[in-house]
Amino acid sequence: MHEDAPTLTARQRERLGSRYAKRLRDRGALPAIVYGHGQEPLSIEFDAHEANKHFAKGERVFVLHLDGVKDEFVLLQDLQFDHLGTQIIHADFRRVDLAERVEVSVPLVFVGEAKGLKTAGALLNHPVTHLELECAVTNLPDVLEVDISGLDVHEHLTAGQIPLPKPTMKLRTPADTVVVGISIKSESEATGEGSTVEGVAAPVVITEKKKEA
Amino acid sequence: MPPYKIPSRVKFRKEFRRVRDRKATKGNYVAFGDYGLQALEGCWLKSNHIEAGRVASTHFLKREGKLFIRVFPDKPVSKKPLEQRMGKGKADVDYWAARVRPGTMLFELSGVSEDTAREAMKRMAMKMPVRCRFVKRRTTVG
Repeated sequence: MHEDAPTLTARQRERLGSRYAKRLRDRGALPAIVYGHGQEPLSIEFDAHEANKHFAKGERVFVLHLDGVKDEFVLLQDLQFDHLGTQIIHADFRRVDLAERVEVSVPLVFVGEAKGLKTAGALLNHPVTHLELECAVTNLPDVLEVDISGLDVHEHLTAGQIPLPKPTMKLRTPADTVVVGISIKSESEATGEGSTVEGVAAPVVITEKKKEA
Repeated sequence: MPPYKIPSRVKFRKEFRRVRDRKATKGNYVAFGDYGLQALEGCWLKSNHIEAGRVASTHFLKREGKLFIRVFPDKPVSKKPLEQRMGKGKADVDYWAARVRPGTMLFELSGVSEDTAREAMKRMAMKMPVRCRFVKRRTTVG
């Protein structure tokens, strides 16, 4: 599958630190790091525009062409975003073998119209948005589809009940983790009100010395 | 006093102003709901702003969906009375505020369609003292 993995042409970074990373970004490069397989971590940089195109397509496995000499397979492990969550400011890559099994976090996508949601006041709760899977590097799923059409009020689905795309994939999230459920919401949930004391003139100061009686 | 949220107990009655001009490094992504209202500027968000936003969304959503308020007004802000000479110690607490930095997620919504969430967030943004934008949950790599 990953013979057609996209190639990222990278250069090794000589000067490290936030100041030099900022200068790299200013000239259109993206700072990154490669680690894994017991080798020394390597700070690299590559063209941000080219990389962003691949990331937007959902590519996870790349051939890293380092300084024009070395080719190795890497897995996109993590991305760091700026304070607004719009621009990628750093990427983490992990060295992998194509025969290797890796642990990845896969996002959940809920499909279908749950019959329980037709009840007034029903709310779909999904406390978990990703599941941890162990699978081969060549079989990384983009998303896990969860069919919620049969879900009624006060019912839920656990991680163990979600069918995995391939039988060789192994679930790493505890199987009894509630992934999605439908509940009837309370008044405070609907209005966003919490349990905090309201309308009190002043809070209690816990370090204040008590007056002597 | 209107039902604004304030802490129930605090360690100290008043506090320093502290640094304001930094960017949000935490609380800056949609963590609980599906859609969020993100502040693009920094401010001290008063408790009555938060309450106004909550009321605006509740009136529009009519008990639909679930609202998450991601900020809490835990900062006491003091103010001297008008025509008061300077000095004589720090003034009494005037209001409670949440520290908001550029990027802070103010509110989140779940259980509604995107169009409904957009309209609700638009109404909430009008009650905020800073520029805000509508954001969706990000599918992170990892």
